[in-house]
Amino acid sequence: MGGLPTNKTVNGLAVDPSNPKVMYVAMRDGLFKSTDAGETWTRVENELKNLAAVSMNPKNPKEIYVSAADGTIFMSADAGKKWQKQ
Amino acid sequence: MGKTIAEGITKRGLKVLLLTGMIWFVSGAEIQAQERSPLQLAAGAPAGHRINTSGKKNPVTFEHVDALAMDAEEQTLFLGTHTGLFRSNDGGRTWKKVSVSAKQPSLEVVAVAPDQKQPSTIYIATREAGVFTSADGGTNWSQINNGLGGLDVHGLAIDPNDGKLHVVIRNKGQEIYRSTNGGGKWSRVNGGPGPEIQFLSSVNIPTGMGGIFLYAGTATGLQRSPDCF
Repeated sequence: MGGLPTNKTVNGLAVDPSNPKVMYVAMRDGLFKSTDAGETWTRVENELKNLAAVSMNPKNPKEIYVSAADGTIFMSADAGKKWQKQ
Repeated sequence: MGKTIAEGITKRGLKVLLLTGMIWFVSGAEIQAQERSPLQLAAGAPAGHRINTSGKKNPVTFEHVDALAMDAEEQTLFLGTHTGLFRSNDGGRTWKKVSVSAKQPSLEVVAVAPDQKQPSTIYIATREAGVFTSADGGTNWSQINNGLGGLDVHGLAIDPNDGKLHVVIRNKGQEIYRSTNGGGKWSRVNGGPGPEIQFLSSVNIPTGMGGIFLYAGTATGLQRSPDCF
């Protein structure tokens, strides 16, 4: 599980139903993506912080939603490159 | 400044006005006010107890978010929070509270699991009242706790292949229970994966032993285990 902040709480997980090795986790430090079922992780480049949950459109895996702990929602339509506050 | 919609007196004797277009939040003993644009109002407020004063009839207070999930028909986002279950049909811009239990209107909803094979079926897990399911997209709910060893649930996973359910409950220690009939009956499987489970998720990656993996978010990181036990 390399690439995730160590010994920190993992708050949420979203998995691509069409390719389950692609997954995202929501953490206080931000959003992280793996393309190898969680062996290695890369931080998704954005300003997202203090994340409580992440979800994916089951029919369109590029559409990702995250919620901050206070309920602020951000959406990406391009697999995490650009984000829009909802 | 907007129209006054409420007024009151703080403990220190200060008169406060609640205006449209403002977000209020409590910080220690002080009450602070901050002007916000309508967009910011719709999107959310700083951390802390929050009152939405954007003029909506049903102000939304989450306190803290635990879960977010989209239904199988790509129409509804569900948000599990400390104050209950909410749904949004506009991508998370506005939220309506879902009535899950008339007896316990403010259940803490820690997990939301839409059944991707049966699009109207949704399962939720709560900290106080176990597991609920809805067969009509979230309008009517029933409690499904037969055989479950406790009502303090910390994670809920649905197998994307066969709809098998796993939950983790806290009852002295942590325990995982499984149901193969949509929550009609639960059986204990084993002890949980670790301290302070945040979520449980069935991930459709074959273990090579006839099952798939369960992933769990804990206070010390991400863990996974074959779900065949």
